[in-house]
Amino acid sequence: MANVKIDNVIKRYGSLQVMHGVNVDIEDGEFVVLVGPSGCGKSTLLRMLAGLEEISEGTVSIGDKVVNDILPKERDIAMVFQSYALYPHKTVYDNIAFPLKMAKRPAAEIEQKVTNAAEILDLTKYLKRYPKELSGGQRQRVAMGRAIVRDPQVFLFDEPLSNLDAKLRVTMRVEIKELHQRLGTTIVYVTHDQIEAMTMADKIVVMRDGRVEQIGSPLDLYDNPGNVFVAGFIGSPSMNFVHGKIEVKDGKKAFVSDGGLTLPLPETTAAEGQSVTYGIRPEHIQIGDTGVKMQVVVVEPTGSETQIFAKAGNDLIDALVKDRVMAKPRSEIGFIIDPKDVHLFDRKTEKRI
Amino acid sequence: MRKQSPIVGIIFWTVVSTLTLFPIYWLFVISVKPAVQLFSTPDVILSDPFWGNYAKVWGDRLLRSYMLNSVIISTGNAILCTILGFFACYALSRFKMSGKESIFFWTITNRMAPPAVFLLPLFLLMTQVYTIGEWRLLDTQIGMILVYCTFNLPFAIWTLRPTVDGIPKELDEAAFVDGASSWKVITEIVFPLCRPGLAVTLILTWVFAWNEYLLAATLTNFNARTLTTGLSEYVTTTGTEWGIMATISVFTLIPALIVFGLVQKHIVAGLTFGAVKG
Ligand SMILES: Nc1ncnc2c1ncn2[C@@H]1O[C@H](COP(=O)(O)OP(=O)(O)OP(=O)(O)O)[C@@H](O)[C@H]1O
Ligand SMILES: [Mg+2]
Repeated sequence: MANVKIDNVIKRYGSLQVMHGVNVDIEDGEFVVLVGPSGCGKSTLLRMLAGLEEISEGTVSIGDKVVNDILPKERDIAMVFQSYALYPHKTVYDNIAFPLKMAKRPAAEIEQKVTNAAEILDLTKYLKRYPKELSGGQRQRVAMGRAIVRDPQVFLFDEPLSNLDAKLRVTMRVEIKELHQRLGTTIVYVTHDQIEAMTMADKIVVMRDGRVEQIGSPLDLYDNPGNVFVAGFIGSPSMNFVHGKIEVKDGKKAFVSDGGLTLPLPETTAAEGQSVTYGIRPEHIQIGDTGVKMQVVVVEPTGSETQIFAKAGNDLIDALVKDRVMAKPRSEIGFIIDPKDVHLFDRKTEKRI
Repeated sequence: MRKQSPIVGIIFWTVVSTLTLFPIYWLFVISVKPAVQLFSTPDVILSDPFWGNYAKVWGDRLLRSYMLNSVIISTGNAILCTILGFFACYALSRFKMSGKESIFFWTITNRMAPPAVFLLPLFLLMTQVYTIGEWRLLDTQIGMILVYCTFNLPFAIWTLRPTVDGIPKELDEAAFVDGASSWKVITEIVFPLCRPGLAVTLILTWVFAWNEYLLAATLTNFNARTLTTGLSEYVTTTGTEWGIMATISVFTLIPALIVFGLVQKHIVAGLTFGAVKG
């Protein structure tokens, strides 16, 4: 167990800079999730923590010790690779046992730990098979097994559940959380999955183009996104954005979109005439006869929820409600927006106002 | 798809096999005839085999020692070249170094001239330079192993490079993270996965050394003389002993078959299937 400190880390591939001064503080025992669009540097950051990628500038410390020049095998970390990286000439059993054998654990302990991990991962039937005889999801579970048999300082997971079906994903999510609670080991976890990020993380790090956009607890990021990017990235379905201006009507500030739509506005420090981006989450919109008049475009029922896409002028907004709505396309509907749920961003800097 | 009748295949392979195997069969026929019968009308059907040549060759202590030399030199050379070639390829494949491709290309340059060009320099080196007191590298088994290495090692590096490059680097990385040392990564992960390439390299370098004549004829005379050169001793001024030569040739074939048989099963494709995603 250890804390991890990523201090002003820069990564260059030749003359190409892909990481621009990343700072992340991870406390001992914390579960940190890295999210961000493809190519933003999540895997690269993880590989730098593992010691597989040289750190161009800045420092990485594990347990208060700078590890920039320490070999992977001496960092005492376990990692699940995005590509699995299973040993193809070894059976599932030997794949999972490999780190224990390298650590020269006694045979009885290896046997017991591998069997145990196989049980957790539902791999018991496959212990004698080779990786090429497994499905993608089974391979991914073997990769997980190889990590969880160990008791390292830090776990690094690079999208470990991406190839599993929905049901197994939920089971594994619970298993990983349980593992974390049991061992209390620091975990750095990369995912594309919103639900994984929101449910597992103590702390989410949102990255974009080799930069950290915002760090915070899941709910903090959901409630107070620092900029348009984070607001759009966290939460599913993602937040509605409408571009417009602050105007004063009847002595009160109001938001008027470029298309002329007026939307409810909370108390704000935004100045009159300021160009802003107006954000509202689909699940924060109620529908009814009052509110903002919109024209229904598409209604998508999923059983438990209904998502309604509606437009007014050029602005398309979607709402997510619990009720079953039987609105017909092109009919009129009212979107009720509580001003306290509204997020305002400066249009130019994209920062929260 | 309609299944093709097996007849066509059977006929095709019968013809091909006959064409390939007939010379070997003919060699065998010659080896089991007494000298007097050799120049009579050729007889394809084997009747009343005469084992005298075999008794003579096997009974010849000199030929037996040539045979042993051949086995030791070829095998020693093949193993040495394959192992050294593997490590060279691992370094070329995994480590950052400047001028890597130039080094790789440079290794093959000494195969660009005919081996005869190197004869005199090699002879001088082995008689004048590589000596310890009275001891010289000329006409020793180790000397021949090393000489063949100069030709086989570049070849081994070239055949093994694609194999080592083909092992995903993530496997090394996963092993490092799992706590393996560089040595363990090589012996536990990379080396076993290179098995097919190693087997091919082993066979080809072995065959090169086994069949080599020119260098062996010049750089050995008695102690390290090999079977191929021994063969030529039966071309004498008083005539050529074809029966004996055919018998020796059969003897040279046998170890080659054994080596092929042992190594062949390792030449399988797809050892790294399932290692990494897609
Ligand atoms: N060896 C390399 N040479 C040059 N650029 C590289 C190299 N490896 C990665 N990159 C670049 O670094 C950036 C970050 O890559 P990285 O693999 O960390 O992305 P990621 O966030 O993990 O993406 P994904 O979600 O698709 O896995 C990308 O723009 C990629 O093109
Ligand atoms: Mg990645």
